Amino acid sequence: MSAATDQASRATREANSERGKAIANILFNAGLAALFVGLFMEAGDLPSSMWEPLGAGSFPRLVLGALVLFNLAIMCQSMIELRRADPASSVGAGRWFIQRRLAFASLAAFCGYALLMPWLGFALASLLFLFIVQIILGARSGRRLLMACAVSAVFGPGLDALFGQVFMISLPQGRLW
Amino acid sequence: MPMTDALLASVEQLFSLATLVSMMIGVMAGVIAAAIPGFTITMAIVLALPVTFTMSPLQGVATMLAVYVGGGSGGLISAALLGIPGTPSAVATTFDAYPMARKGEPGRALALGIWASFFGALISAVVLIIAAPPLALIAVKLGPWEYFSLILFAVTVVASLVGKSVLKGLMMSLLGLFIATVGQDPMMGVPRFTFGIDVLAAGIPFLVMLIGIFAVSQLASEVENPTETKQGKALVGGKMHFQPFGVMREVLSRPGNLLRSSMVGVVIGAVPGAGGSIANLIAYDQAKRASKTPEQFGTGIADGVVASESGNSATAGGGLIPMIALGIPGSAVDAVLMAALMVQGVSVGPRLIMDNADLVYGMFLAMFLAAGMVLVFCLVSMRWFIRITEIPKSVIVPVVLVCCAIGALALNNRITDLYLLVGVGLVGYLLAKLDYPLAPLVLGVILGPIAETNLRRALMADENWTLFFTRPISAMLLLLAVLSVALTVRRLLKQRRIANS
Repeated sequence: MSAATDQASRATREANSERGKAIANILFNAGLAALFVGLFMEAGDLPSSMWEPLGAGSFPRLVLGALVLFNLAIMCQSMIELRRADPASSVGAGRWFIQRRLAFASLAAFCGYALLMPWLGFALASLLFLFIVQIILGARSGRRLLMACAVSAVFGPGLDALFGQVFMISLPQGRLW
Repeated sequence: MPMTDALLASVEQLFSLATLVSMMIGVMAGVIAAAIPGFTITMAIVLALPVTFTMSPLQGVATMLAVYVGGGSGGLISAALLGIPGTPSAVATTFDAYPMARKGEPGRALALGIWASFFGALISAVVLIIAAPPLALIAVKLGPWEYFSLILFAVTVVASLVGKSVLKGLMMSLLGLFIATVGQDPMMGVPRFTFGIDVLAAGIPFLVMLIGIFAVSQLASEVENPTETKQGKALVGGKMHFQPFGVMREVLSRPGNLLRSSMVGVVIGAVPGAGGSIANLIAYDQAKRASKTPEQFGTGIADGVVASESGNSATAGGGLIPMIALGIPGSAVDAVLMAALMVQGVSVGPRLIMDNADLVYGMFLAMFLAAGMVLVFCLVSMRWFIRITEIPKSVIVPVVLVCCAIGALALNNRITDLYLLVGVGLVGYLLAKLDYPLAPLVLGVILGPIAETNLRRALMADENWTLFFTRPISAMLLLLAVLSVALTVRRLLKQRRIANS
């Protein structure tokens, strides 16, 4: 695919996701508004002080109150955008995720990396993470695969050694060994 | 000690081989540390502090100033090449330097930033020498009313600056202010919104927020296009020409922007508690407002890079003004510098310039010297930094993600910070996809505690809240805050009308 075609398809894709964005914005802000109302109530229970007119809860309540107003305003704005958007040319949520599969796969790998690090330690977890993500992102054969192995070794165990031995910053060593 | 004797004594100490070598190492450490997302100038300077204990007071403080000035320029590298601000003071640099690099001019973006940083630091050093005492007196006169209004102004400026919707920008600023309230209350020490979770007890670390919001979400956005990524496309394409001296003329051909942004940096730097994170945004905003083509800001233009980089670098000199004249540190970095002097047995305060004139003049000269060293180091090494852009995305994205993980872990040595980083990164990515600007969120988190403390202090001092509107400086800052929002709304409505017609 040429760069120009790619740019064009990208622009169309962004334009077509406007309806999905508007729906997501409405749902997101409705959820946030409900959460902020709950937190606003919670902040009311925070103690006040006899030394100052504002207690521990006043500032958060001020911010939370303003946040709810902004959530409602954005919901109204998104409803107008939803009405303007063309439903026929909109992409579905599934297609939206598929189009961004590499980004979500990398984030999922990063999540797995964080969860495994306490068990495997920084060096091994980083080595595996670096290797897997490079394969996900296209390093699957020949020179690129060889480079992926080298990068994983240098920035996994290599960085662990650098920080541990030179900077005296101890990174997690792993509970399994 | 007469001024000339003090100056000569400081020159003798400063130009010794040991001091020059330690300053050069400090410059390199500052540039590299600030270029790595998650490693701030404060972290670099704190790590440098124990090394200076064995040095003479001037050598120690000059080395730390070298780290400080180097860090001011280092944030530029990752901001321009990766779109990730290496430090909070490089947030506005990403607005134009990164688009410029993406348009195929990474060398020009870096060179513009380097020269703007150099001139910004130079101008601030000159102002430091001339105006230290009077400026410090103005800064110290600001009460909690003015600080609160200043923060409100900074927050509205950034919210109206970035993104397509002012509503979303302001909401993100408020969300940042709210996130900052999680943890201990700053005045009473009462736990707030912690829900019995240990990791929330000390609050959400802003550095983890910064890395997650900017770095992780930005990196995920980089690998969205499967065709580009799998073909091994580099992060930044195009010409890699690096013509520093041609670009120097380009920077100098914008004297108004350079001088205004540097002065903004000096003044903001002199206000205790403010610093580079606000200065770069306000300098950028002022440049945009003064420009005849404000609509081009954010598309990769030279004026944006010059404003942001000269603004943040000029805070180095500005921050020293209240420290030297009154013993009040302008920022966390200045507080560490002050600690270094106190460890050496030097008392910092109004008598510093009288009792240790050679040291103070040495600090002034060290600022000039450090700015020159940063320039030389950056110009020599920048060709190598530009090589970063030739690395395929499939390599650089996972490597920088690992660096982000180190940044989060090194902060408190807690694995929960890494979990937080992943969560914040994912949320940041989704927010960016829904067109929510991320810079106001981070600024809100950083400034939240200062805003709350000053609001409460102001009302403790006097329960009359109208003082926020009747004290002249506070009223002016609030008016500017309202104007910044109003003008942006007007601009956006005008743009929409043009688009519709």
